[in-house]
Amino acid sequence: MSGQGQVSFRNIVKMHGEFAALKGVNFDIKPGEFFALLGPSGSGKSTTLRILAGLDAPTAGRVLIDDKDVTSTDARDRDIAMVFQSYALYPHMTVAENIAFPLEMARLPKAQIASAVQEAARKVKIDHLLDRKPGQLSGGQQQRCALARAIVRKARLFLLDEPLSNLDAKLRLETRAELKKLQRSLGVTAVYVTHDQEEAMTLADRMAVFMSGEIQQIGTPAEVFARPNSIDIAGFIGNPPMNLVPARYVDGDVIIAGHRLKTTTTTAGKRDVVVGLRPGALRMTEGGLGARVDLIEDLGDTAVLDLDCAGTMIRMRVSDGNIPSEGETISITARPRDIHLFDPTTRMRL
Amino acid sequence: MATTAATSAGIASEAPRSDFGRVLAQRERRFAAALLAPAFLALLATTTFPLLFLVYTSAFRLDLAMPFTNGFVGFENYQVLLSDERFWTSLLVSLVYTGSTVALQVIIGLALALLVMDMKRGQGWFRVIAILPVVLSPAVVGMIWRTFMLAPEFGIVDFLAINAGLGSKNWLGDPTLAMVSVIAIHTWQWTPFAFMVLLASLASLPEDIYEAARLDRASAWQRFRRITLPLLRPAIVMVIIMRTMVALTAFAAIFTVTGGGPGTATEILNLYAYRKSFTELSIGYGAALAVALLIVTIIISGILFALRRAK
Ligand SMILES: Nc1ncnc2c1ncn2[C@@H]1O[C@H](COP(=O)(O)OP(=O)(O)OP(=O)(O)O)[C@@H](O)[C@H]1O
Ligand SMILES: [Mg+2]
Repeated sequence: MSGQGQVSFRNIVKMHGEFAALKGVNFDIKPGEFFALLGPSGSGKSTTLRILAGLDAPTAGRVLIDDKDVTSTDARDRDIAMVFQSYALYPHMTVAENIAFPLEMARLPKAQIASAVQEAARKVKIDHLLDRKPGQLSGGQQQRCALARAIVRKARLFLLDEPLSNLDAKLRLETRAELKKLQRSLGVTAVYVTHDQEEAMTLADRMAVFMSGEIQQIGTPAEVFARPNSIDIAGFIGNPPMNLVPARYVDGDVIIAGHRLKTTTTTAGKRDVVVGLRPGALRMTEGGLGARVDLIEDLGDTAVLDLDCAGTMIRMRVSDGNIPSEGETISITARPRDIHLFDPTTRMRL
Repeated sequence: MATTAATSAGIASEAPRSDFGRVLAQRERRFAAALLAPAFLALLATTTFPLLFLVYTSAFRLDLAMPFTNGFVGFENYQVLLSDERFWTSLLVSLVYTGSTVALQVIIGLALALLVMDMKRGQGWFRVIAILPVVLSPAVVGMIWRTFMLAPEFGIVDFLAINAGLGSKNWLGDPTLAMVSVIAIHTWQWTPFAFMVLLASLASLPEDIYEAARLDRASAWQRFRRITLPLLRPAIVMVIIMRTMVALTAFAAIFTVTGGGPGTATEILNLYAYRKSFTELSIGYGAALAVALLIVTIIISGILFALRRAK
């Protein structure tokens, strides 16, 4: 029954009247991959997922699953399981009935359904709640129930729309790890929508970063973190995100607030650039860029400093032990390979 | 009084506060009672009293045509009633009338609601037009049907029947057709009520569970059977209860259209009680019939409410 779970989007456009929710989206997902759709609110992630599921039709473009064009195939016939952001549990059915529903629709024999329900419920640790109605469950339990309903049928594709957003921080971390293990053990292709970059970074094999209806970058979390494609992605990924400082590029150096920093770029010439500096990549050294410590956010094991560098705000992450005090003036620098350069007009990486 | 003393002694430490609370609550209750009293009395005078008077009347022979036989007879009216064939016929007519009109209202109302839910535009207009029959008085509806719809040759229904090749029918003169006609009239007038209630209840169902059901590979029919119907159940049962009580006690429309005729073909229990009391002027026996109707109504609504509570 289950196929491979390979997905391709070809120039998918989705219009809502005049408004383009998706402006030509392309990506390929490999079988068995954990693929995240990451982006700020309203960037078109849910729209993409719904088009993949067959709940909405694209205005233009083609959707391929396992090399078959399914653009006009009904959701029923796509063999896809989905966990909704709202869980979408059937309120009048018990947990067991909810989980059994997809199997009943497939007309499986009763005994087989019962054992499959038990197994799915055990996998997400709700086998003691099978007789409850969704209204009698906590948010986390409902989420597990929705998960169980999705995994009970061995679909070829597994879609999740911000499934953890209603959970508290601790439960979210736990469930995140379990989700990853579950996907690995099932070996199923998963497409995961989130606006939480940390979630995408930890869960995904690869991710697509959405910005206002377009994919700006596709890659492994490490690649996207190490080499963000554009200013927008640089400002979105990382916690806190990259510092983006307007500067002047002169023959391989950048000049920030009168101070010269070496870069790995070696072309000659002069131009305006935007310099990206990860807060964690900044070092305190003598003879660097002078900065006054405005504010310290202590996170326990690390601290984030808000620095004032001649009028520009720069954030820096320092580990325990060598935290300066507020009001102090320090001197900072970064290694040449930690300096990212962007074009201020195209907003793309140089 | 003794028990109050005991309880206040039992919680002696809190006594002053709870005393204060009790006085306040008592005062409040008295005030509430004073506010309620007029309405309560009015209700008593207009519903409970006539009801009791009805039961009382049913224990008398009260024949305006033969006043010399009047007097207290105890349960005699009820004994007569049990062996009165016309009573059983009218009870049967009532049950058929109620059962079929309620079933038709729910089925047609639900079908319309499902249809309108899928309409992209024009929903608002549909609602306004659909509600029109409900705001008409049943007597007016009866007149409309008797003259515009069912009149031989010129009535719309008869006109359609002729054009459909069925020929002109005596819609209100034939016993079966007359019954069909009064059922159709009641259904026509009250289906919009069921429609509105079910539409509102449909509109309040979450959309995402239908999307989930599609992905779970439920067909349209399975989505209706397994999701829509169970979730609408409370609304459907409520409509059935309300419409059943009204249909059991229907009167005006049938009265104006057939008057219970031809013969006793459309004579529901209510109409029989009316005819007995005010045409044949046997007020005592009419009262007994009315009490019988009351008992039937109570039993049926009791069953329906029990069904509602049942899972
Ligand atoms: N039915 C609709 N009519 C008009 N605009 C819509 C409609 N549905 C979505 N949109 C718009 O399309 C854009 C993308 O929506 P989408 O739901 O895909 O965002 P998202 O990336 O999932 O955001 P979030 O993280 O908040 O869920 C949004 O700007 C939204 O306002
Ligand atoms: Mg969304």
